[in-house]
Amino acid sequence: MIWLTWRQFRTQAVFGLALVVAVAAVYLATRSTLLDIARDTGYTACTADCEQLASQFVKTARSGYLGKLYQIAALVLLLFPAVVGLFWGAPLVARELEAGTHRLVWNQSISRNRWLGVKLGGIGLATAAVAGLASWAITAWASPLDKVDGWVTPLTYAARGIVPIGYAVLAFVAGVTLGMLLRRTVMAMALTLLVIVGAMVGGLFLREQLVAHSTYQAPLAGDWDGGISLSPDDPNHEIRLEVEPPAIATWVLDNKVITSTGAVYRGPYDPDYCGPKATKGGDGPRGCRDWLTAQNLHQKVTYIGNDKFWALQWRETGVLLVASSLLAIFCFWWIRRRVA
Amino acid sequence: MTSAVITEHLTKKYGRKTALSDCSLDIPAGHVVGLVGPNGAGKSTLLQLVCGQLNPTAGGLTVLGGPPVTGSPRIGFVAQDTPVYGSLSIDDHLRFGKHLNPSWDDDLARERIERLDLDPKQKAGKLSGGQRAQVALTLAIAKRPELLLLDEPVAALDPLARREFLQGLMEYVAESGTSVVMSSHLVADLERVCDYLIVLVKSKVRVTGEVEELLATHHHVTGARVDPEKLGPGRTVIQARHTDVQSSLVVRSTAPIDDPAFSVAGIDLEDLVLAYMSEAANGRDRVLEKQR
Repeated sequence: MIWLTWRQFRTQAVFGLALVVAVAAVYLATRSTLLDIARDTGYTACTADCEQLASQFVKTARSGYLGKLYQIAALVLLLFPAVVGLFWGAPLVARELEAGTHRLVWNQSISRNRWLGVKLGGIGLATAAVAGLASWAITAWASPLDKVDGWVTPLTYAARGIVPIGYAVLAFVAGVTLGMLLRRTVMAMALTLLVIVGAMVGGLFLREQLVAHSTYQAPLAGDWDGGISLSPDDPNHEIRLEVEPPAIATWVLDNKVITSTGAVYRGPYDPDYCGPKATKGGDGPRGCRDWLTAQNLHQKVTYIGNDKFWALQWRETGVLLVASSLLAIFCFWWIRRRVA
Repeated sequence: MTSAVITEHLTKKYGRKTALSDCSLDIPAGHVVGLVGPNGAGKSTLLQLVCGQLNPTAGGLTVLGGPPVTGSPRIGFVAQDTPVYGSLSIDDHLRFGKHLNPSWDDDLARERIERLDLDPKQKAGKLSGGQRAQVALTLAIAKRPELLLLDEPVAALDPLARREFLQGLMEYVAESGTSVVMSSHLVADLERVCDYLIVLVKSKVRVTGEVEELLATHHHVTGARVDPEKLGPGRTVIQARHTDVQSSLVVRSTAPIDDPAFSVAGIDLEDLVLAYMSEAANGRDRVLEKQR
C-alpha cells in the first residue's frame, strides 16, 4: 500500500518538495545579506538604547529585494495550506471515486481503513514535513527583522514557527474529507479553498483567546507620545486621547486612557488649555498635553507580548491538529459506512 | 454441493429507490454463473453486496461461508467499466497487485499480459477498452480468488474483444476451477460460458438453475388457442402469445408434454431468458389493466 501511495503521489510530491526546497534555498542563501545589513547599520553591535539603529536596520533591509522576499515569505506560508488542500487533499479520494478506481483498489486484499490510513498518514506527514521545512527556513531568515518588529503581530505570527504546519495539515485533511463527501474533485477543491480561508480568518479572531492577556498600566508620563482629538464646538468639551502603546506590547488588543476611577477618559477638557481658543500653557498643543498629563490619567494597554509567542504557537497548532484528527476519524467512519 | 453465496431476503435501497428487493439465492460453488437481466435490474447492486462494497439495507448474505468484506483475498472483483488507473502503467498495476495481495501469482499475471501482447510499460489510460478489461481481469485472477465476480465485463467491448475476453476467462476457469459470477444484460455473452443462470428483473429474482436443467424443463409450445390456466398441473406458463386461432407459449414443466394438440419444441437460452423478462413486463401490464 505504501508503494501504491507513493506511486500515485510521487508527481505531486516531487513538485511540492521542489517548490519548498527552492523556497528554503532562496531564504537560507539570502540570510547572510540580511545579517550584513544588520552589521553595517550598527544594529548587531549595539548593546543599549538600540531603537534608533533597529528601525534604521529594518528600514534598510525592507527597501531592497529583501523587502520583497519578506513579503513573499508571508504570502508563501499563508498560501501553502490552500495549495496543499486543493492539490494534495481534495483529489486524494475524490478522484478515485470519480474514476471508479476505488472499486479496483478496494478489491485487492486490503481493508478500506488501511488504504485510507496509509494515504492520510503518509501524505499528512509529507504535508507537515514540507510546511515545517518552509516555515523553519522563513522563520530563521526573518528572525533579525522579527526581533525588531515582534513575532506575535497577527500577520507575522501566522507565517512563523509551527502554526503553518497546523494549517497545512488541517487543509489537507479537510480537502480529503470534502473530496470523500462530494465525490467530485473540482467541487471539493472549490469548497476546500473556502474552508481554508474560513479557518484562517477564524484563527485570526480566535487566536487572542488562546493565551492570557498581559496588561500594562502606568500614569501618563510627561513626554507621552500620541494624538489628541477634540471638537472645538462641542459644548461638553469631549476629548479623545490616543497614546502610543509601550514597546513591550507587540500585539495590542486594547489601548485606552483611564481616569483614577478606571473609567475611559473623555474629558471634559479645559478650553483655556486645549482647543483653538486656548490661552494658557504656552503655544500650540504643548499646553494641552501638559494639562492632560496633570489630570492624573493612566494608560491601560491589554496586549499579547513576544514572550507568549511559543505558548500561542503550541496551543493554536494543538487546536488545529485536534480538528484535523477529528476530521480524519470522521473520514474513517464515513469510508466504512457511506462510501460505496 | 457447497454454496459460494447464500442470500436471504436481501434488500438494498438507495434512498427511496429499491435496487434489489427480497432476493433469496443459493449460488453453488464450482459453477460459472450468469447473472442476467435488463439494465437497472439490480445486477451490479447484487455483485457489490457480495463483494462487500455495499452494505445491505435488509436481509443477510453469506459469501464463502462468512460475511462479505471488502479487501478479502478470497474474492476477485472486476467492476463495471473495468476501472484502472489511467496514469499508471500495466507494470505498475501488476506491482501494486503484488504488494496488496498475499496470494498474488506474479507468474500468472505476467504470462497473461505477455500472451495478450500488451506492453507492460504502456500507461493503462492509453489502452483500448478490450485491453483495459483484460488488465482488470488479470489483476482479479492473479489474486487467485476462490470466487471471481465480474460486473458486465464485456458490455463496452466490440465482438472480437468480447470473444477474446471470455475465452481468456474460460481458460482460467478450466484450469483453476474458480467459482465465477458474471453479470450481463446480453444473454449471448453468457450462453457460451455459463453453466448456471440467474435471471434478475426489476430488482427481483425470476429464475435460477443450471443451464442444462433449465433448457430441459422449458418448452416452446404452439397449438390451437388455449387458456394458459388449463394446461394442467406441474406446468407453468412463463410467456404466452395469442393470435385469434393460435397460442404460442413458453412452458416450464419437469415432465415432458405429450399432448398431441400441441407441437412442442426445445428452447434456447436466449428465448428462455427473454420469456422471463417479458413475463415481468406483462405482470406490470396486467396490473395496469386491472386498474383501468
